[in-house]
Amino acid sequence: MWQQIISGLQAGSWYSLMALAIVLVLKATDVPNFAMAELGLLPAFCTWALIDGAGLSWWAAVPAGLLIGVVLAVVVERTAIRPILAENHFATVLMTIAVFVVINAVVQLVWGSEPRKIDSPFAGSFTVAGQIVAYEQLLSIGAGLAVTVALVLFFRTPLGVRMQAIAEDRVTPRLLGVSVTTVFRTSWALAGAIATIALLLQGQASLLTDQNGSGLLIKGFVAATLGGFSSVIGAFVGGLALGVAENLAGAYVSTSSKTAIALLAIVVVLAVKPQGLFGRHQAREV
Amino acid sequence: MPPTFPGSPRRAAGWAAALAGGLVLLALPGLVNPYLLFQACLVMVTATAGLGLVLIMGWSGQIALAQAGFLGVGAYTTTYLVAQGWPWPLATVTAGLVAALAGVLIGLPATRLRGFYLAIATLAFAELMIRVFVEAVPVTGGIAGVAVEAVVLPGIDVDGSRWYLCLAVAAVTTVAVVRAGRAGLGRRLRVVRDAEIAAPSLGISPMRTKLLAFALSAFIGGVAGALYAQCLSYLTPEIFDMGLLIEFLVLAFLGGVGYVVGPFLGAIVVVVLRDLLQDLGSWQRLVYGLILALAIAFLPRGLASLPARLRDRRRAPERPVTAAAS
Repeated sequence: MWQQIISGLQAGSWYSLMALAIVLVLKATDVPNFAMAELGLLPAFCTWALIDGAGLSWWAAVPAGLLIGVVLAVVVERTAIRPILAENHFATVLMTIAVFVVINAVVQLVWGSEPRKIDSPFAGSFTVAGQIVAYEQLLSIGAGLAVTVALVLFFRTPLGVRMQAIAEDRVTPRLLGVSVTTVFRTSWALAGAIATIALLLQGQASLLTDQNGSGLLIKGFVAATLGGFSSVIGAFVGGLALGVAENLAGAYVSTSSKTAIALLAIVVVLAVKPQGLFGRHQAREV
Repeated sequence: MPPTFPGSPRRAAGWAAALAGGLVLLALPGLVNPYLLFQACLVMVTATAGLGLVLIMGWSGQIALAQAGFLGVGAYTTTYLVAQGWPWPLATVTAGLVAALAGVLIGLPATRLRGFYLAIATLAFAELMIRVFVEAVPVTGGIAGVAVEAVVLPGIDVDGSRWYLCLAVAAVTTVAVVRAGRAGLGRRLRVVRDAEIAAPSLGISPMRTKLLAFALSAFIGGVAGALYAQCLSYLTPEIFDMGLLIEFLVLAFLGGVGYVVGPFLGAIVVVVLRDLLQDLGSWQRLVYGLILALAIAFLPRGLASLPARLRDRRRAPERPVTAAAS
């Protein structure tokens, strides 16, 4: 039971991180970003290549991977998203799907479909009260918690406040001298780094394949839905809840019920409490 | 005696072209080789599924990512029911209804909310369906798959039967969608898309309208799935995965979801591309992704909007003059 919960919290932390990245972009640009997981997948594969191919140490390769994640996200935002942001919402959402397909295809072309594992210095485990806890599990949960706290603090800084202002209203903050471009770029850059962290953690704790992105993407969206799509803490708790629920269902109901949990969670939350477990009610523009 | 056509000569020419086109389609099994006929079947099936997307994505402006899943539901349900001894037409309509029911269950919570919730719920549904197809071995045969019994019309060979089925369903769906577009549903959907808050004051329930569109779109997807099964003759779960979803997005966006001809144009592109790139795996997806991105960036209303855009461009030089005059 406790074993299941700990592995659930570990997987849940990856979902939380993905949800945080999605919420961050949504908060600033109002786009549900279907390319979010792929923006972490490519940098994660690059990190693997740096460690396995170029022989770099984990401590050097991970910052390099994060940098690649930031650059990739900024480039995608600049070249694919920003030019059409004025067009209509529908086109922008589909553009993120197109980016998803392109990056995934590039990963498949370069690295193929065989699973990899990112070597990390955190192998091994210890025993607490008869329960085996892997250092990787602590690392994942700790990283999720750290990113959440950092984001909560970030939204209190001047830039964070501006970002929220832009999400609420795209015209007035601009009149007050807030640069929309800076806000968009910052949110994508941060989200790119967070998505990379999620994929790196998954890639070193279990396996890294070209399919990891689409799997984490759906879980991230479910976690964000649970959290109400506007709350940082909601996204974090939503991810952990989803991870634990999946693991318990997998252990006590059946392995195949694991996938159903995600859809069930979406349908139930949308039907019962559509603003999510932590979301605030949002007035719509007339 | 030649039939008399109402209206202008231009309109008569249009009718004549449509009649000639219809005759060519009816005579197609005698005109082309079986391979091309099979490709034409795929175009019809893909376009039919795409017509479902016109309803939901074009007119109601909602992003639905489950059409591949509905196709799978339709394909497996029909195949299973026919194996149980049901006649094919009844099995197909039932399959459509099953898909529509699934659509309502997914859409019911999602259509009440902001647009992207439907995108997320349908994506999760599509993913779940793949798992269901893998797990529900008694019905779907699991990963090993299941063979589809071919429908043979009396007096026609298998290839010809398949073609006439596909043609008939595509024609009926086109007429139904065109009529729905002109009559109440299409107009109501556009009101909801463009002025959701104002819609209730016109006596239109946004949620009910969106849900109806989504259920119809799922029904069409299910029926298209029944035909798709006839084309493939063997079903495995991975047929209905992300790859098919992406083909539908390319179809919808490149063809243009706002127009009824859009899905047919899009379907031709998708079927030809699939044929050209079939052995290239990842390259195929890369090409699809790039086409989708370029279409969104440079042709946001699809191929079907090209004539209107070109007309606008020809008129364009006049614009500054009128602007200056007014």
